[in-house]
Amino acid sequence: MRLRKLKGAALLGVTSVVLAACGGGSTSGGGTGLAANQTLSFPIDGDIGSFDPAEINAETDVVLYQNLFEGLLKLDNNLNIVPDIATDVPSDTNGGISSDGLTYTFHLVKNAKFSDGNPITCKDAVYSWNRSAADTSAYGSDFDHVVGYDKVSAKGSTVKEMSGLTCSDDYTLVAKLISPWPVFLTEVAFQPAAVVIEKSAVDKDPTNWWGTPGEEISSGPFVLSARTPGQSLDFSANSNWWGSTKPTLKKIHIDIVKDMSSALVKYQQGGYDTIGFGGMNSDLNPDDVYAVKNDATKSKDLHEIPKTRSIWVAFDFKGAGAAKWGGLTGAGHDLRLALSLAVDRNQLADLACSHSLICKPATGGLIAKGLKGYMGDNTDPTAKFDLATAKQLLKSADPTGAKLKGTVYVTDTNKAVYKNVAEQLISQWKTNLGIDVTEQVVDHSAFIKQYTSHSIPGPHREGWQADYDHPQDWFDNLFICGASSNGSQFCDPQVDTLAKKADTEPLAQAIPDYQAAETQLEKDAAFVPLVYTSGDILWHSYVQDIGANSFNDWYWLGIKIGSH
Amino acid sequence: MVSRGALVYIGQRTVLILFTAVAVSSIVFLAIHRIPGDALLNERHPDPTAEAELLHHYHLDLPLYRQYTLFVTNLVFHGDFGESLVNRGEQLTPLLLREATVSLEIGLIALIFTIGVGVLLGVFAAIRQNTWVDYTLTTTSVIGYSMPNFVIATFLVLVFSKLMYTWTNGSFYVPEGWDGTYGLLSQIPVPAFALGFPYASIVARLTRASMLEVIRQDYIRTAEAKGLKERVVIIRHALRNALIPVITILGPLTIGIITGGVVIENVFNIPGLGKEFVTSIITRDYNIVIGVFTVYAVLIGMANLGVDLVYTVLDPRIRY
Repeated sequence: MRLRKLKGAALLGVTSVVLAACGGGSTSGGGTGLAANQTLSFPIDGDIGSFDPAEINAETDVVLYQNLFEGLLKLDNNLNIVPDIATDVPSDTNGGISSDGLTYTFHLVKNAKFSDGNPITCKDAVYSWNRSAADTSAYGSDFDHVVGYDKVSAKGSTVKEMSGLTCSDDYTLVAKLISPWPVFLTEVAFQPAAVVIEKSAVDKDPTNWWGTPGEEISSGPFVLSARTPGQSLDFSANSNWWGSTKPTLKKIHIDIVKDMSSALVKYQQGGYDTIGFGGMNSDLNPDDVYAVKNDATKSKDLHEIPKTRSIWVAFDFKGAGAAKWGGLTGAGHDLRLALSLAVDRNQLADLACSHSLICKPATGGLIAKGLKGYMGDNTDPTAKFDLATAKQLLKSADPTGAKLKGTVYVTDTNKAVYKNVAEQLISQWKTNLGIDVTEQVVDHSAFIKQYTSHSIPGPHREGWQADYDHPQDWFDNLFICGASSNGSQFCDPQVDTLAKKADTEPLAQAIPDYQAAETQLEKDAAFVPLVYTSGDILWHSYVQDIGANSFNDWYWLGIKIGSH
Repeated sequence: MVSRGALVYIGQRTVLILFTAVAVSSIVFLAIHRIPGDALLNERHPDPTAEAELLHHYHLDLPLYRQYTLFVTNLVFHGDFGESLVNRGEQLTPLLLREATVSLEIGLIALIFTIGVGVLLGVFAAIRQNTWVDYTLTTTSVIGYSMPNFVIATFLVLVFSKLMYTWTNGSFYVPEGWDGTYGLLSQIPVPAFALGFPYASIVARLTRASMLEVIRQDYIRTAEAKGLKERVVIIRHALRNALIPVITILGPLTIGIITGGVVIENVFNIPGLGKEFVTSIITRDYNIVIGVFTVYAVLIGMANLGVDLVYTVLDPRIRY
């Protein structure tokens, strides 16, 4: 008898624990007032690498750091270059850019200060830029046109200051360039390397000044207030924020999660205010996004964000596979073009990207849609679906099928969309051309190793996410001979000539030259363009003034939590 | 009162655990450096000077044997696992110790659940042999140890976090995620259940079989004939002897819980060693991979030692 009672008690106990009620599920609704608790909470799927502007690299780090540090210029939420610590954007008309294009003068506001109350002056900006240039990490090379950069960035150099950076007074910075470089203002506005940091904070803890709450001295509206590595980050409003607009948010809490699908469940339970924020808009599981889109209630929270990332197939122009895949003309060219014309990109995006939810067909060149230099919808002749021509080219380039036998397409696991696209691509080549291509999925780190050492002897995944909205970012990193991220080692002197010419021209003049260079890429059938990615963010309706542009999240400064 | 022999035994086993940890670290060190790719690689190919400086900072530009010597020296004499390659400047020893306590928390609760619930169900099934109770519990056990724990975990998230939230309009549900370092009281049971249920099923089956054998013994019949209550007979006379086979598998069971935590922590976003383990391998954060394996080796060694010591409590004939 007692055992029966024990059994019943055990069952009740287990049931009680499992059914632990956890808070009322008040529905979100856009209240007219603001919530008392102004905390924004969201997840990211990987810990930050660094907030040190001289070392920062990953997308997540960039979208978070932009709320901690300010630069002389910045982008507003609509990607316009606007003054930040500078009083205005240097131009020809306001005398900020000299007539020869070699001297840029920035006037600083006089009320800017660090979170410790110390004023921000020209010497802080000069120190910050010199430090980034000397570090020569991801974005330090954006100062490569400043006089003296070559001495500072040389291996083993003891020179710490670029001679081209000077302060004519406490609030006027003068930058002299080695040659006209119209991209300079874009780089200053976009790049983490150009924000202003305090020397004394760095001197106190050179390695970890940026990641230790209390040591990290910011110049922006928020400071790092707590951090548990691998687990969570907390930021709070900077009490010494000098800007005219004060933050409404008092705290930002970020969880570092492994699985965004589980995080989405927590979001739907009301545990997060938004998901996909913090640079995560490409990291939501496409199936989850599709399920949300098809739910009449949940889909109201879903917002699609066009991204600045393109994905394409690259080949091998100089390595072991060059004999088969290389050459600007001839059999190699025909083979590449055949593979490109055999791809129905609408079907590819539909099947690989959850009914075109997270990517769109790339039909306007390799520079992503919406960016400067984009060629226009359906303008890329290599992106047309033309099976008849594809088969003809294949027959002439590989009449016996011997060349394509054993072809392996290499991709990585960094994002789900890469694998999905690869599978659909291979399926289409099989169906449309009758060729068997094997998919080789390699983990991301190993893939990058192979890619950067140019050891993939055939078709492989390539892609780029723009650092800033200027075609120079694409050409100088990807398409010119010997470019640092030119994994296929493609090289066409005509493309180089056009791109280098465009680099020195003001943007309006440069665009036609960049587009001519891209037309040449298309003539060379250098790559097989596939898709442009898009991202998705969900936020509850009570979160006000939140969003993202194609590069970054909107600043935390404008976000408010409405009553709910 | 701990005997001298036991203390010597514990000391010997502790030294063995430390040797094992160093051996495991060395094997993992050599293996991880053989895998293609490294943490410093990036699609945005860094400046060669910057790349060289980074390699130098992490001693990755040294020959492998020198890297190994440095690593062993730091580990053995300073207990220092080094710095994270991905999270620049992050010291690993405090990070790994913190995450180990989180893994221990969830593992311990899972173990208590495994033994407690497993034994309970096994006893019920045995004393109610060939009744609907026995059949139900036996079937549940078979289902439990047939399903991988990640399937159970995903199913639990679906039912208790997602569907229950929808069905009850947010009134009754298990909150997803993990708050703070050690989680909320309401967040612990489901991952602990997911981790422990397969092993509880094994314990239940083993306990049932062992109990069935023991309750047919003459001394049990004698105890019943003496008029002792059923509860007393079961707990004081039968269970103690029936548990010996269960204790035998406690070692592998504990190891299964420790290693099973890798999957559970990833599914439930628990900030323990398991989550760190997967992330560090994918990102090629060498020092963390080695650190995690080493901590796991120590935990498993200590778990085995604990099980051996539990024997002496249960069976007075066993002495060290």
